[in-house]
Amino acid sequence: MNLNFSLSEENLRLCGLEDGEEICYCLPLDLTVDGDFQKNGYTVITDRRILTLEQGKRTHELELERCGRVFGESMIGGGVLIVVQDGLEQLWGRFSGKHMVRYFYMDRGVQLLKEKSSRRVVSREYEKTCPVCGRVLRGTKVCPYCEGRKGGFVRFFANLLKTYWKKTAAILVLMLVSSLISVVSPAVQRRLVDDVLTAPERRPEQAVLCISLMFLLGFGGVLANVVKNYQCAKLGARVANDQRQKLFEKLQLLSLSYIGDRSPGMLMNRISRDPSRIREFVSDTFCNAFTIVILFPCVGVYMLLLNWKLAILAFLFVPVSVALSMAFKNHVRRRYRLQGRKSDKVNNVLHDVLRGMEVVKTYGQEQRESDYFSGAADELAKIEKYNETFFAVFYPVLTFMLGLGTYLVTYFGGLSTLDGGMTPGQLLQFINYASLMYGYVGWISNLPRSLMDMMTSVERISDIMDQSPDIYDHEDSVGHAVAGDVDFEKVSFGYKVYEPVLQDVDLHIRQGEMIGLVGSSGTGKSTMINLIMHLYETDGGRIRIDGENVNRIRLKDYHSQIGVVLQENFLFAGTIYNNIRFARPEASREEIIRAAKMANAHDFICRTPDGYDTYVGEHGYNLSGGERQRIAIARAILNDPRLLILDEATASLDTESEYLIQQALKRLTAGRTTIAIAHRLSTLKDANRLVVLDNHHIAEIGSHEELMEKKGIYYGLVMAQLEMNGQL
Amino acid sequence: MMEKKMQEDFSLEQMEQESEEVLRTRFLTRENAVFQRTGGGFLRLTVEGESYPRIMVVRMFPFQEKEKYLSVRTTDEHSREIGIIKDMADFDGETGQMLREQLDLRYFTPVITKILSIRDEFGHSYWEVVTDHGPCRFTVRMGGNSIVHLSDVRILVMDIDENRFEIPNLEKLTARERKKLDLFI
Repeated sequence: MNLNFSLSEENLRLCGLEDGEEICYCLPLDLTVDGDFQKNGYTVITDRRILTLEQGKRTHELELERCGRVFGESMIGGGVLIVVQDGLEQLWGRFSGKHMVRYFYMDRGVQLLKEKSSRRVVSREYEKTCPVCGRVLRGTKVCPYCEGRKGGFVRFFANLLKTYWKKTAAILVLMLVSSLISVVSPAVQRRLVDDVLTAPERRPEQAVLCISLMFLLGFGGVLANVVKNYQCAKLGARVANDQRQKLFEKLQLLSLSYIGDRSPGMLMNRISRDPSRIREFVSDTFCNAFTIVILFPCVGVYMLLLNWKLAILAFLFVPVSVALSMAFKNHVRRRYRLQGRKSDKVNNVLHDVLRGMEVVKTYGQEQRESDYFSGAADELAKIEKYNETFFAVFYPVLTFMLGLGTYLVTYFGGLSTLDGGMTPGQLLQFINYASLMYGYVGWISNLPRSLMDMMTSVERISDIMDQSPDIYDHEDSVGHAVAGDVDFEKVSFGYKVYEPVLQDVDLHIRQGEMIGLVGSSGTGKSTMINLIMHLYETDGGRIRIDGENVNRIRLKDYHSQIGVVLQENFLFAGTIYNNIRFARPEASREEIIRAAKMANAHDFICRTPDGYDTYVGEHGYNLSGGERQRIAIARAILNDPRLLILDEATASLDTESEYLIQQALKRLTAGRTTIAIAHRLSTLKDANRLVVLDNHHIAEIGSHEELMEKKGIYYGLVMAQLEMNGQL
Repeated sequence: MMEKKMQEDFSLEQMEQESEEVLRTRFLTRENAVFQRTGGGFLRLTVEGESYPRIMVVRMFPFQEKEKYLSVRTTDEHSREIGIIKDMADFDGETGQMLREQLDLRYFTPVITKILSIRDEFGHSYWEVVTDHGPCRFTVRMGGNSIVHLSDVRILVMDIDENRFEIPNLEKLTARERKKLDLFI
């Protein structure tokens, strides 16, 4: 999302920038304080001042040093810009909902500027509408319409054809053949009429020849078309499948921040639906498009040669019938949309009443609900009747109108034939060509919509494919054998830039130490873990592993040395055996058994009917939470990680499995740097140090005893838990 | 926060006290409440010895009553109710004016006075209208709940940015405008 709109010359002059002063953010103020729409209003934030410009005037100005917070407050249908000065909240300007999100970023942006930081907030969100043409962007970064005009779409297609050039060439040849057959067949028919049927002498052998030729051409045409359609379908499926796999690969490369910003449903659509759209386009539209490109000129030239006056008449009718059929389709679509809406309403009313029947009856409101339902049903009936009538009457009329071209051609052609200008065979040939041309009219009228759908899908796919992952291996990335020292140096991070989760966190974790992370939900415990695992890039500061910046460590290398046990551990569809050796597929059976034993998992595995070959995952053997947990621990033990992360590993377990798991964890954590999160504080009793997070910062740090003595946040949490368990 | 939650859960006394407070309704009148401008464009309130540096005014029935049943609340995160204004007419003209300004700031709902064009394309409709706050273009998602029927003739249009536009009386539109609108409502 754009957070720095460009200003006109005049507005720039109004800002009165000093030497070296730079505009950092510039957002529109599209409403006056009285709520009138205005075009020429901006909030400008430089590295020194904040000012507002409205209608060619500077309306407010303040040095950043002198202002407190600067933020957008959302109202109903828009928001206001508030600047705090000496503790007083001042209303500086007003904007519509269109710019609300942009103003959310200002608080953090101004804060950074006041700290003299060179960092600027950027928005990863996309614009909702195209800044150029105003069309809605359906989940794409650039506008498919504007970009398509620039040829992005054509480039994409040219690229596709290049990749599959053999198949494309074959299809092109087939199209050529089938088009030629369509063009030649009427010529043979003409010969049959002119040279045989209307000829003065009987020439049966010519008749046989013509008819055999017609049969062969017909047969050849069908054959070419069948093979062509088959090849097109195959090409479409192949293209879609390739795209889908590339998308999936790319998606796995992208960092969690890209994926986290988008809903799973949307990403699934990207992978499953958008390539399907391309398949539809390739197999339906693309093939026909080339047929038309070949067919229309040939037919056109032939018609002109046969009778140029008549040909022009026929051509003129093509746009007319395309326009007619488009208008008709638009109208039908609108009517049916209306019908759909009314039918939704009826369904909603029904759904409401049926679910709330008890309430309706107990309050005796049956009559009112009946009336309401009748009203909705009547509306639906009315529009249904209209639509059915419309279809029944207008569809045949339209078909007739679209056929008018042929009638016209036949009429004028007939006149010409009677005058001797054309032979009957030529007339027949001409009519055949005209019908051929009009036959594609319906298809042409669908073209804009199918093109637009396709272009949107292409844009959406490119959006993912062109994304450069923000966490990746740099050229100077190194393999690094992790010893286990972890350093947080002034680390700041937020999933959304305007909502910081951690701010300036400093922490040194020594090799082999066990750290317990404590704090209420939402204080950033899991975020710290995500950062250590380098799933996200920090916004500020850095994380060092044994003194090496985590950015410089090769990702695959690094991740293979981290073990993770979560509250809900994900087991892949497969056997227990495969799940344990997930991180180290080359591990021997003995090693796997040893790991399972250390994780207290061996015994229960042996009790299952299929032992280590037990199939788990969806529809598989039902493991309890504790059992899954122990498999995850075995997986971690087998991997022999230097850095261990336990995220609520013992929550929601019964006492017996908790004991077994505690034991297993003790074996696992021995000698390894461990970072553990637990709500139940008693499970952190083995931790060397506890880190209490509060309000984006580390609030307390120390051993259990030290923190209890301090009587701070940790003390309060422990007391609250004891009270809850009735131990106090 | 967790601490606080615990306390809430376990201190029955406090919970009872809070629920009492919720039930207590204080009506703000000319006699007990004094509204003043803050100098920053907002309002300050003094009521029965309590003082609030900035308040906001919320309509309880935004579609039915524009100047009656207003909830006066604090602007912090919890937004507690300070009191209720039953009818703005209970206050003098100057205070009424100040409250009206705050309401206008909070509820931005331009009234559509003229429909120039509505164009639909691929699931969205693009509106070009004149409102009581000036000419304006906006985009509405088709289907869904973008159009709210407040009554048979009064509708509220919600655009993709959650801006709201009101058409107070469909019957006052010209036949041409009605025809443009018909397919979308």
